[in-house]
Amino acid sequence: MKYKAIYIVGAFCLLLILVQGRAGKKYAGGPEPYLLQLPPNFPKPVYDFSRNPLTKPGVALGRFMFYDFRLSKDSTVSCGFCHQQFAAFGHFDHALAHGVEGQQGNRSVPVLFNMIWQKAFMWDGGVNHLEIQPLTPLTDHNEMAVDLKELLRKMQADPAYRSKFKAAFGSEDITSERMFKALTQFVATMISANSRYDSVMRKLPGAVFSAEEQAGYNIFQEKCAACHKEPLFTDLTYRSNGLPYLPALNDVGRMKVTGNTDDNLRFKVPSLRNILKSSPYMHDGRFYDIYQVFDFYDHGVAVTGTTDPIVKKGIPLSDQEKRQLYFFLNTLTDYSFINNQALSEILIH
Amino acid sequence: MILRIFIFYACCFLVLNTLFGQAAPDAGHGSSSLQLSVTHVMGQQPLVRKTATYTNAAGEPFTISRFRYFLSNFSIEAVNGEMITLPPAYFLVDDAIDSSKTIRLENIPAGQYKAIRFLVGVDSIRNMSGVQSGALAVESGMFWTWNSGYIMAQLEGHSPVITSPTQEFLFHVGGYKAKDQVLQYVTLSFTQSLTINATSTPNVNLVANVEKWFLPDTVSFKKITVIMAPGIKAKQVAGNYRQMFRITGITKP
Repeated sequence: MKYKAIYIVGAFCLLLILVQGRAGKKYAGGPEPYLLQLPPNFPKPVYDFSRNPLTKPGVALGRFMFYDFRLSKDSTVSCGFCHQQFAAFGHFDHALAHGVEGQQGNRSVPVLFNMIWQKAFMWDGGVNHLEIQPLTPLTDHNEMAVDLKELLRKMQADPAYRSKFKAAFGSEDITSERMFKALTQFVATMISANSRYDSVMRKLPGAVFSAEEQAGYNIFQEKCAACHKEPLFTDLTYRSNGLPYLPALNDVGRMKVTGNTDDNLRFKVPSLRNILKSSPYMHDGRFYDIYQVFDFYDHGVAVTGTTDPIVKKGIPLSDQEKRQLYFFLNTLTDYSFINNQALSEILIH
Repeated sequence: MILRIFIFYACCFLVLNTLFGQAAPDAGHGSSSLQLSVTHVMGQQPLVRKTATYTNAAGEPFTISRFRYFLSNFSIEAVNGEMITLPPAYFLVDDAIDSSKTIRLENIPAGQYKAIRFLVGVDSIRNMSGVQSGALAVESGMFWTWNSGYIMAQLEGHSPVITSPTQEFLFHVGGYKAKDQVLQYVTLSFTQSLTINATSTPNVNLVANVEKWFLPDTVSFKKITVIMAPGIKAKQVAGNYRQMFRITGITKP
């Protein structure tokens, strides 16, 4: 009887091996898959990988294009020019985005990480899909200002690009679809979920908050977490936080996209991850120091018809609370992300 | 006993393998195609871009510099009334590109047909499911970057009544979300019933009359000069241009 059980289990295992062997053959000859490690405490990604499975050459091609200045009109600006890794892929010390020929936009450069959990992109959510997102900075005349048809011809004429596309997609054809999918593959690997906060949450040995950090976390939970929801530190909604309107920029926020007056001055709630590395703050980068942000919420809110009820009366923060909050936000810096060699700039000759 | 269990597993494996392991048989067998030849006109005259001057329903003179639109989601109606949805296919018709004016619809089951139905534009799903290829590739410039979605139809030109420095009108008609939807289904009867089979690929002459963009809900350049976002103006123009198509004849092979 004991042996019978072993035989049955054995036979089943043999079958499993056979089935696995068959399934494995599908990948033979194709590009090597890239296994993306998803953080255990995160929800299921929004991005559907089934249409664009990550592969090592696909991610590598995306990274190469991300740092290739030739993707801009006059070969002066790459994606990585504005999205700097040490600033969590925001633009260090720049309030407003700028691009080719000294052109300047009217919003700050958003940080790039955990994009596969985002439902829509840009400060106003105007872009509805991660794969489509690169189109905006590539073609915007304030940014890379490239003619996409011309760029595709230029890339098709470059043997190095042809061989990279072949490695990633099986043939040398360079299409916008492949180009955007490869960029998406690289951006998908920008996952930031390894801060000290995460270590504490995962109860890793020795990972604890200091007394001040813990106090800051308590303040965060009480006064910030309604919008900056864990674990992404944003609830991905669009809200008007009472930031005074600047006539010079005349930025109406999400209303421009939806045409709904209820969306006036609403912008996407940004993540607080890596926040101390990604100054300046707000959609127009008007605050260079996180304490200015604390002060704004404490006594700077300008109430309009669309101001979120949560912040209408401001968020009172004492000096001690600001300090504790600062210490907590510091635990959200993910050094393994901003120093990740796999995401770093590659020199392109 | 052991052998029986083993055989049971083996059979399960074989059955599963047969069910999931093999590709479906080729569906293209015995099917045929239909060709649409598109002609652009302004009223009774062939459309001539840039040089010819026309007058709109509001009595304003104008010229046309660009005329483009998407056609998709084709289905055809059999003589017995059955609607047959054709495989997904997307076409960007551009007056400046002659090859874009010949549309070949493949994989039509052999039979007798009396009408055709299509969408002017791109269905909402393709507006929101990421980067696309072929006619839907974004380098056409028919995709909005600041507010994702396809420009379903585009008409550009000049009129002396326009007060801007360029005197240019730009109608970029788009919008796939419920509130601002401009998607227009068009159904046209064939002038006679059509036989489509492997040896017979009929050619249908489809005419698009640009004059219809300005009627029946009269469009004046003084009121509408630039449409570059979904909204009321886009819906008004789309409501007009849905009537621009007609079938003028059929050429049998």
